[in-house]
Amino acid sequence: MKKFARLLALFAGIALLMGADTSELRYQNVGGKIMCSCGCGQMLLKCNHVGCPNSAKMIGQLRTQLAKTDNDEDVLQFFRNEWGVTMVVEPGHHGFELLAWILPFTGLGVGILLLIVVVRKWSLKPAPINPADAQLDPQLEAFRAQARKETEV
Amino acid sequence: MPLLGSFCLLFALALSAYSFVAGIIGFIRKDERGFRLAETARRAGIGSFVAVTGAALALIWAALNNDFSVAYILHHSNRALPTAYKLAALWSGQEGSLLFWAWLLTTYGFVLRLRHKTDRRLFASASMVLAGIQVFFLMLVNFVANPFGIMDRVALDGNGLNPLLQYPEMVIHPPMLYLGYVGFSVPFAFAMGALINRYPGEKWIHITRRWTMVTWLFLTCGICLGMHWAYAVLGWGGYWGWDPVENASLLPWLSGTAFLHSVMMQEKRGMMKMWNMWLIFTTFLLSILGTFLTRSGIVQSVHAFAQSSIGAWFDGFLVVVLVACIWAFVKYRGDLKSENKLESLVSRESSFLFNNLVLLAACFAVLSGTLFPILSEWVRGFKITVGAPFFNKVMLPIGLFLIFLTAVGPLLAWRNTSLGSIKRNFMYPAALSFGLGVLLVFLGVKPWQDLPYLYSWLAFVLCALVLFTVASEFLRGGNVLKGKLNTNLFGAMYHLTRRNMRRYGGYIVHVGIVLMVIGFAGQAFNLEKEQEMGQGDTLAIGHYKLVGQEYTQDDNANYESEAALLDVYKDGKQITRLNPEKRVFKASGGQPSTIVANHSTLIEDLYVIYEGRNPDTGHPIIKAFVNPLVAWVWIGWLVMVVGTGMALVPNAQAVKVPVPGSVAVAAMEKRGMAPVGAGR
Repeated sequence: MKKFARLLALFAGIALLMGADTSELRYQNVGGKIMCSCGCGQMLLKCNHVGCPNSAKMIGQLRTQLAKTDNDEDVLQFFRNEWGVTMVVEPGHHGFELLAWILPFTGLGVGILLLIVVVRKWSLKPAPINPADAQLDPQLEAFRAQARKETEV
Repeated sequence: MPLLGSFCLLFALALSAYSFVAGIIGFIRKDERGFRLAETARRAGIGSFVAVTGAALALIWAALNNDFSVAYILHHSNRALPTAYKLAALWSGQEGSLLFWAWLLTTYGFVLRLRHKTDRRLFASASMVLAGIQVFFLMLVNFVANPFGIMDRVALDGNGLNPLLQYPEMVIHPPMLYLGYVGFSVPFAFAMGALINRYPGEKWIHITRRWTMVTWLFLTCGICLGMHWAYAVLGWGGYWGWDPVENASLLPWLSGTAFLHSVMMQEKRGMMKMWNMWLIFTTFLLSILGTFLTRSGIVQSVHAFAQSSIGAWFDGFLVVVLVACIWAFVKYRGDLKSENKLESLVSRESSFLFNNLVLLAACFAVLSGTLFPILSEWVRGFKITVGAPFFNKVMLPIGLFLIFLTAVGPLLAWRNTSLGSIKRNFMYPAALSFGLGVLLVFLGVKPWQDLPYLYSWLAFVLCALVLFTVASEFLRGGNVLKGKLNTNLFGAMYHLTRRNMRRYGGYIVHVGIVLMVIGFAGQAFNLEKEQEMGQGDTLAIGHYKLVGQEYTQDDNANYESEAALLDVYKDGKQITRLNPEKRVFKASGGQPSTIVANHSTLIEDLYVIYEGRNPDTGHPIIKAFVNPLVAWVWIGWLVMVVGTGMALVPNAQAVKVPVPGSVAVAAMEKRGMAPVGAGR
């Protein structure tokens, strides 16, 4: 256990020392959530439309906004206000748009609840036991276990 | 010929309607006359296949002979179009693809109706359900989207095929996808037939097991071919964009995968009968929903056809099918009681339950994200865009959990597994995959740096866990058989696989999935660069340096093109020459299409596109991507095909258990047990 803790501490140390420049990653992440508004139907940073009238301006605005604030949601909100709500391909985290985020996990939650109900129902009503099984011969049980094991192969 | 086609479609509708109505009467009567009526229904169903085949051939004939008096051919073909793409015109437009749907459905029905001797009652009911579905699609092609509409004047040439579809994979991608979509009608029809006939057992599952697996395989191939087409043609450097129509194909795939897993519970333990019934109902409904999303134009998509009135028909059909499913389930659910209960939470059964839960959660997440723009339009009056960032955020954790279950599930035994056994089986794979995770950190995968890196690292570790557990399963089984068969380990593993093709084929499919996920995980490390490049200019990206050698132009009957010739150097040494191209198709009003140049290795792809010339400087613009591990996506797909093929092959022989016969039989009979694993 001590060895494991030391190993973890070592990794944590390495992690802190390594660090990373995250500004480019942030540009890619936030830029990957905005669509080009010229009608090409592509993401802003993927727009390969030669002579696109909007992408250069939008990319410039993206860089300016990223420099202005540390909050990515503010940057996305700027693009919603400036270019229209449909230009940001990730729903917001407030109001009606929040529903888009809640729905998938609600589905998962309801599924887990149902699963718990089903499993509880099953465990409350165990499978009927054959009365003959009540007096089991240990040798017979051993053979059964062996049969079970070998038919699994 | 168009007249013949129209007549064939009308005749097919009449035959299908007869097959459906006579099938219902035959089912209700249950006497000798009813039986004879059901037989006529079966023959009418076979006749409908012949009629729809005639209509499809008439449309192909019109395409091959440039009959531009037919509106559909005028809009989707032209004289200069290569012959293979003229054939593809059959499914490149709304009307033709609906005819193709109907033809595939009647073809499946034809095979089913020929094999009726297996179980006349069940097959008659399944044939009746299929006939009902046929009626719907034939009504569409007769009255709403007729492919044989005639033009007032005959044009000299057609408008041509969509340039994006003029690619070899596009000739096979839609048929594969359709074979998958349509194929789920067959297990659905059998499930419905078994339910209304009060079949107590798993007969319908045994009959449809291969149908379902083949259908699932077609859908898998259709999706993967579509991914490869997107990668090779759309020129944005990726292969999956969470486009609504892509999502539509994923939905039945996810629920179909859940079905393929959970039917094993019913086959082996007589459990989850209601669940399986609803899974196949849902899969069929999602197939129809997928077709609806593609055809109606209700969602914005690169695949969607124009807005049309066809959506209302699909809405109606979905409601009718859902009502029929609910009615049959409520009326006959008494026959779907489980024969066994879950004995332990740590068992194969519970792993299947979790697997089903996660697959359906993934399905629901994709469905809710895909339909959310429509919901937002109803509520707020405009469509909120839900794109790749949303789906990546929601789906990645779910997908990773699924990979974890793929690793753990096979290690658990049916009924009950002891903790000691889990420890024993899980220890080495877990230690090895953790070791790999550490190694990856030292190789530069820094999970703490950003969320995509964390997901990638987790994906690599979990994929390794699956690979190690699958390998340990083969090794453990091989070691047991090695001594018994007096052979070496590889020979023993071969015999092991031949004795239970379904189980070990399934493991190979898991390996294929894992290889694909390794390919997906590489996306976190993609690089891209765009610049103007004249002759002799260089573009450096990753280890590569591209040097512009020549820029050419070409002109043929079908399209004009511009292309670049680029020498590629890696670490100072020339490795290849790439030729990215941009084509402008004449018949489609100057619509451009990208021909990507890709240098693919097992480690990474160098993916180069020619974007055109800068209107200001006149210089060509080249965009290059370095996409790590993409080749594993396609390798994984091929491994999945091999694995599914293996699972379809019958077992070589049953395992002879070396337990004194009378004792083993007595023990099993007392508990009502049946052998599990090999031999089943």
